[in-house]
Amino acid sequence: MKRALDPSVRRRAIWGYAFISPFIVGITVFFAIPFVQSIIFSVNELQVTQDGYELIPIGLANYHRAFFIHPQYNRVLLDSVLQMLTELPLIVIFSFLAASLLNQSFRGRTVARAIFFVPVILTSGVLLQLQTQDLLMNALLSAQAGMSADAAREGIMIGRDLAMLLDASRLDPRFVNYVISAVTDINQTVNRTGVQILIFLAGLQSISPSLYEAATIDGATGWEVFWKVTFPMISPLVLVNVIYSVVDIFVRYDNPMMILVRDVAFAQNNYGLSAAFSWVYFLAVLIILGIIASAFSRRVFYQT
Amino acid sequence: MARRRRLNRSAGGDAANLTILILMGAFMALPMVFAISNAFKPLDEIFMFPPQFFVRNPTLDNFKDLFLLMANSWVPFSRYVFNTLFITVAGTVGHVIVASMAAYVLEKHRFPGRVIFFQIVILALMFAPEVTAIPNYITMARIGWLDTYWALIVPALAFPLGLFLMKQFMATIPDSLLESARIDGASEFTVFWRIAMPSVKPGWLTLVIFSFQVLWRMTGGVYIYSEQLKPLPFALGQIIAGGVARAGVGAAVILMMMVVPIVLFIIAQSSIIQTMASSGIKE
Repeated sequence: MKRALDPSVRRRAIWGYAFISPFIVGITVFFAIPFVQSIIFSVNELQVTQDGYELIPIGLANYHRAFFIHPQYNRVLLDSVLQMLTELPLIVIFSFLAASLLNQSFRGRTVARAIFFVPVILTSGVLLQLQTQDLLMNALLSAQAGMSADAAREGIMIGRDLAMLLDASRLDPRFVNYVISAVTDINQTVNRTGVQILIFLAGLQSISPSLYEAATIDGATGWEVFWKVTFPMISPLVLVNVIYSVVDIFVRYDNPMMILVRDVAFAQNNYGLSAAFSWVYFLAVLIILGIIASAFSRRVFYQT
Repeated sequence: MARRRRLNRSAGGDAANLTILILMGAFMALPMVFAISNAFKPLDEIFMFPPQFFVRNPTLDNFKDLFLLMANSWVPFSRYVFNTLFITVAGTVGHVIVASMAAYVLEKHRFPGRVIFFQIVILALMFAPEVTAIPNYITMARIGWLDTYWALIVPALAFPLGLFLMKQFMATIPDSLLESARIDGASEFTVFWRIAMPSVKPGWLTLVIFSFQVLWRMTGGVYIYSEQLKPLPFALGQIIAGGVARAGVGAAVILMMMVVPIVLFIIAQSSIIQTMASSGIKE
């Protein structure tokens, strides 16, 4: 209580509220209110009437239906979680590697960076939204799919050699399978890392050059500089990228659960059930994210 | 290039870097090369089976057709361009400022409610837009913002990802730097605007790219129904909705919609490099 009365502390707090209030208003109106409303929808049956909609309370029936009656829900939920767990480490490690390479000075690096960002533009909108039934889009997608199929075929070949090698090394077969699937799905992984690469790049750029200077003068090798300077300085952004990737994988347009939720809400017009679906899903994501984030944030280094 | 001392770099290492980059880059560049090449294909090549990757007889017909269609649209085409530019620029600038201000105080000030607020932001990050689509529409209708630019701009100001990203960048600013500015008599806003923001320029330039990318592709969806307020992606979508006959124009449209974010990206990226050459926090 005594601290709160300190005038400088209170002045800081006032500035704090002043700076943050636009964001608070925005997030309340466009997130918190719809958020609460969707909880209400999930325990009701929503019926469209002439002058709007009507809610008929049905308790937890939608949740019951999700878990015990709906034929696909549990399986899709499990699939989504497993998919996330396999993709996450690949995406984060790959994007960090790519960002470190792109951060070095070489001729034409802006163009190189732009190339790595292109999949974000291509897969996140303009093209997908403009026209999904468009012929060209299909040609483009099938060309891409063809390329991935070719890559996959080659990947399988690589995978076989790799599998033989790894089998001979008597490692855990689960680990072997993981490595092989990582190699064969490299194309997909690469396509999903644009945003993460950019975040890491910006992070690498904002490390003060004087830190490197000091380390070099003290005689640190490149390896030491990487682990003692670059890595701690970038660690807050590792957390950003982990969280971003988890969320991106879960709510991506082509995630099986999102397809199911959209289908139930907008094709079958069962908005209440869809709200219940997404609430269970949301809680699952929340728990997983909580575990992952708390594991990571203990290792994050913050400048004080 | 004197910006950073090169650490123990061998020619072999350079070669390895380059090889890895070229291999990974090739994967990512393919769709772009295909889109560019398609835009210059005459119709018969677009429908060729099996599809050809590269154009053989490049032509500008697709672009000519596109401009012809634009000239004949009911609402002057410049209006669509203005709508999208206005929404994109206002949304991006507003979002960067609002998110950075909130991130700055969340990271560098201590005040009651700050932790809870940050947790709400993380929650908001996780909720897919599909889930809140209907409640959001109802909210807009109640505020009376349906069929105005605000329905697209204002929600964009509070995108949670921007706040989260900026907060992590603000964490890299040493407190001593801000404190010394305060001791020199700078107001809190000056500290934020003149000290904190320049130090995290790579961060907010990245946010500009993300935000632009999201707003640039907005079609207005259900929120905007007056023809003269519709954004550009909607109008272009209408043009290529003509189906098979418009396949060539469609290729040109895809290229045009791609070019703008890529150009912005290149500009933003090159100024990130300039910042680091000129600034730098000295402790």
